[in-house]
Parts: sequence; C-alpha cells; structure tokens
Amino acid sequence: MAACARRAADALRSCRLTSVRRQSERLFSSSLARHSAGSDGQPPRFVPPVKPVIADKTRTESATRRFLSPEFIPPRQRTNPVKFRMEREDMVRRRRVLHVPEFYVGSVLAVTLSDPHAAGGDKRFVGICIQRSGAGLGATFTLRNIIDGQGVEICYDLYSPLVRTIEVLKLEKRLDASLLYLRDALPEYSTFDLDMKPVHISPTQDVPVNQMKVKMKPRPWSKRWERPKYNVQGIRFDLYLTPEQMEHAQKWGQPWREYDMLIEYDTSTLEKEIYQEVQQELAK
Amino acid sequence: MAAWTCRILKLGDALLKGTVRIGSRAGTATFESVPVVQCVRTIKTSTWWDEHLSEDNVSFMRKTVMEEYKQLTTDKLNPLKDEPWPRHEWEENSRRVGLVAVKLGMMPVWTKTGEKHVVTMLQVQDCHVIKYLSKDENDGRSAALIVGAKNVSPFYRSEESMDIFRNAGLPPKQKLTTFNVTNNAIIKPGTPLYAAHFRPGQVVDVTAKTIGKGFQGVMKRWGFSGQPASHGQTKTHRRPGALGPGGDPAKVFKGKKMPGKMGNIYNTAFGLKVWRVNTKYNVLYVNGSVPGHRNCLVKVRDTILPRLLKKNNDPPFPTFFAEGGEELPEDLYAEDMFQPGEPVPE
Repeated sequence: MAACARRAADALRSCRLTSVRRQSERLFSSSLARHSAGSDGQPPRFVPPVKPVIADKTRTESATRRFLSPEFIPPRQRTNPVKFRMEREDMVRRRRVLHVPEFYVGSVLAVTLSDPHAAGGDKRFVGICIQRSGAGLGATFTLRNIIDGQGVEICYDLYSPLVRTIEVLKLEKRLDASLLYLRDALPEYSTFDLDMKPVHISPTQDVPVNQMKVKMKPRPWSKRWERPKYNVQGIRFDLYLTPEQMEHAQKWGQPWREYDMLIEYDTSTLEKEIYQEVQQELAK
Repeated sequence: MAAWTCRILKLGDALLKGTVRIGSRAGTATFESVPVVQCVRTIKTSTWWDEHLSEDNVSFMRKTVMEEYKQLTTDKLNPLKDEPWPRHEWEENSRRVGLVAVKLGMMPVWTKTGEKHVVTMLQVQDCHVIKYLSKDENDGRSAALIVGAKNVSPFYRSEESMDIFRNAGLPPKQKLTTFNVTNNAIIKPGTPLYAAHFRPGQVVDVTAKTIGKGFQGVMKRWGFSGQPASHGQTKTHRRPGALGPGGDPAKVFKGKKMPGKMGNIYNTAFGLKVWRVNTKYNVLYVNGSVPGHRNCLVKVRDTILPRLLKKNNDPPFPTFFAEGGEELPEDLYAEDMFQPGEPVPE
C-alpha cells in the first residue's frame, strides 16, 4: 500500500512538472491527485486545475500581420527628429490605456465617446471609415453613416481623452485610400446598422480587399472624381460618363509625377524601425 | 569679383602687350612697370580657415574643438569649480532671466475635460548665461544678462566676436539675447539654463523673427479688400486704391499702409501659457503659435502683461539649478492638462 502511495506521489510530481508545459494533461493530474490523497485516509487536498490556454497552432509569430498605424510615420520635413520621438512616446503611453485596433479606410468601426451631456455618459457611433489623416498626436479618422436618411460624418481625434473604445466591426480595405466620394454615392453604400455584429478575421490572414464599385447620384458631384488627381477606382464611371468624357478628364493628368524622384518618399525602413520601437515600448 | 578683376587684367595685358606676368593665387603677381594695373587689382585679404590645412588637420581640428567644448560645458556643471554667486529670494517686482530656445514644431494637447488646444514645442539647447552687464554697462536703468544658445562651430567667426565666449569659458553660440533683470536675479556667467526655469501654469512671452514673405502687396500685407474681379474693372483688382484726401492735406500721411517688405521682423507673442515641461529633452510646451519658422531660435521670458503677472508668482529663482538638489520628474504638467498615460477621465 505504502509503495503504491509513493509511486502515486511520484507520478503526481512528474505530472505537475509536465502540466506546466502541457496543459492538456490537467484532467489526468487532478484526478490522480484526488486518488492519491484519499489513499492516506486524509481529507482530499484541493489542487486548483491548471488554467487552460487556448493556443492557436496555426498562428505563428512570423505569420501574424504586422501593422503600424500610419500616423507614426513622420512627415518628410526638416524637423528635429526629437520632436517626433517625443510625440511617439506620448502616443504609446496613450495606447497602453486605450486599445487602438488595426483598421483601414473602408473598415466599419464603432467608437464610444464619453459625453457628459449624453444619457449614460457615453455616445456610440457606427460608420465606415472614409478618411485617415494627420500625423503624430493629431491623427484623426472620419466615420460616415446614414442616420434617418441623413448623412452623418464624425471626425474623431485618435488620441483624444474622450475616446473610450474603438471597435472594429468589419476589417477590410477598399480600392481607394480615401472614400470621400461616398458623399456623392447612393446612400445604401454608406448605410450601416448601428447594432452590427463584429465579423471575425484571423490575425494571420491578409486583410480582405472589398472590390465593390459604387453607383453614384446623378452629376454634378461635389468633386470631379473622374479626374486623375483623385485616382478613384471604386466608382462605376461607365454608368455616368461617356468614353469621350473619361478621355477628356485625362487632360488634367500629370503623368510625369510618377517619375519625379523628389516627390518619392520611401518609408519602408523608417516604418520597420518605428514598428520595432513601438512594439518594444508597448510590451513594457 | 574674380571675373571683374580678370577682365581688367586682360585689358591691361592687351594694352601693354604682354608685359604683365600673373603669378599664383596667393598674390605674387609681379608688376615691374605697370602701376595702372596694380591700382585696379583687388587683393583678397580674407581666407578660408582651412585654406592652408590638410584634410587630416581639418578633421583633427574639428574633433579637438568639439571635445574641448564638451569639456567646457561639463566643467561648468561642476559645482566645486569656483565660488557661485549669492542667491536671493523672489520678491514681488523681481524680473528673472529668460531662455533662448529652438522651435521644434506644434502638436495638440487636451485638457482633462477633453478640450483640444495646440502647443508649440520649444527645446532649450545648450542655453548658457554668457555675460553680466551691470546697470551702467547696460542702459543705466537696470542690470542685464546676455544669454546664448545652440553651440556652433568657431571656425567661421571673427576673433572679436569670439572674445565674449572666451571670457565666459563657453563654446560660441548661434544666438545671443539680452534680458533686463533686477539686481537680485543676476546669475554668474557660465551657468546653464534649463527648460525647468519655467513651470507649467506660468505665462511667458516669446519673441522671434517672423517668417519673411518678401515684397508683398497691400492685400496680403495689410489685409486690404482689393477691388472686384469683374464688373468693368481694368487692371485694378489687388491695388490699394486711394491714398487719402486730396487738396486739403495735399500730402500722403506718414505711416500710410502701402506695399513693401513683409515679415522678417521681430515680433512677440504675449501671454502664452506653459502647458508642460519635459526635463529630459528640455522642452517647453507653450500655448498656441509662436513667431518664426521651424528650428528658429526664440527668446522666452516671463510675461510682462500686468494682468497675468500673478500667475508667475514664486518661480524657481533666480533660475533652476540642476545640481541644486531639487529632483524633478521627467514631465511636469499643468493642473488641467490631460496626461497621455493616465486613464480616461469619467
């Protein structure tokens, strides 16, 4: 009997050691512990079950999307880099308190803003992100939705203390970097349900690009979106403009700009460095 | 200038049929029988500082000078070096010295209630007291301190202009400014000044040279309305119009607003609140905009606006001394400012 108990205790010890590494054996170890404790005639000692950790085997460190918010990239100008470093420190400090998720122009977001005049103190708005602008602490994003037939756009400061939560309901990109043309599009393209349920996207998978092309209200539009300056891909121009008109719009094109090496601003190395720095700071 | 000299020499050459022989650039032209040409020729007296130095020597000079300046700056931080000047207590009518700072750029700040304000970041770089001027040396009314900031290379400066720095035992500075101070606020030359000289909640005036706009018309320079674009206007759209009454004064009054050079003059922004002070990078966060372009050197002093004087009561006097014992946190914030790391206010 004693030998049996000793063997059981040994088995238990080994199980405990292994359970640190492999959580799948927790059931086995706890049942064994109960058995061994009962064998000495003493009341069974409670061994708390090991907390299960759900590890996604498909997700590896290298496969996870690396995303750096665009406002971390400093504009190209002759400013002392210390200025941008200090701003970045503040941004990271704010991000430790407020989780700012990855999102793009075209994603559907829900933002909760604290408002002392609102009932309950909070104000929630759901809409499609049509623009991200500003660098550093002054970064903003604009949400658009149609409420009671009326188009509503709200421009939020990303680092304002009034922002309580930013929630991504649907993570996706669109064909364009700016969706301001939704103002001239049919209202159904910017109408989103306020009680929309979030759509899950795995962190390893690429962000889907929504290839949707919108239909517009009749012309005139607020801007001549067909002009090359805006470089809009997401409008069905064939419904509203003749090929001659599309040809005519190319008159305002500046095809030499893509060969202008002074305009070129390659941020890839900068982005990598800042990403490392921000990740290290956030991990602290 | 070189071309001009050359042409005259050539002319002389042609006239005198090759009797002139021109030597090397060092100035050994020989003119035996040609006094005319000798008069015309300009002799360059100034030289580059590295004109007769090899490349190795130039880099050696640069390196040693940099090390020497570093040494000078750290020596000044040593409190045992020599006797400091006596410090006095702050009184009601004391006027302190100010700072010379570099304008970094602008950014937003938020109050605890969520209001957004913009601030200008001013960095204090190598700011030192250079010289003390007594009442008689200054203007006969008050004593003054000359303050300089931003170390520069000494190689492009004249010997006379280097004297003031040599006397202070400091590297030359890009910008020197004079601050009128009261007698109890004088500081020993060589003392470093820090951003913590000002504290959040205080109010400052910032003086700097505005961005130059060049020669501008009255619409941009003085905000005149101009004339309509159409309705029969001929060649009159942005012009000043009449200059005043005609026959009675029969003159244009002095000070009439007219086109001319705009900007590039000293201007002062008064009564700017200090929102935050970073003691690590020595940065002041001053409310609103400040004259001058990015990276320009600005003069920051306690405000002179009478209604805001009470906000500057009991500042670090005569200045903040780094070795003086007072330990400051990295960031000092104004009371009503939202700090980026703090949790969201209710």
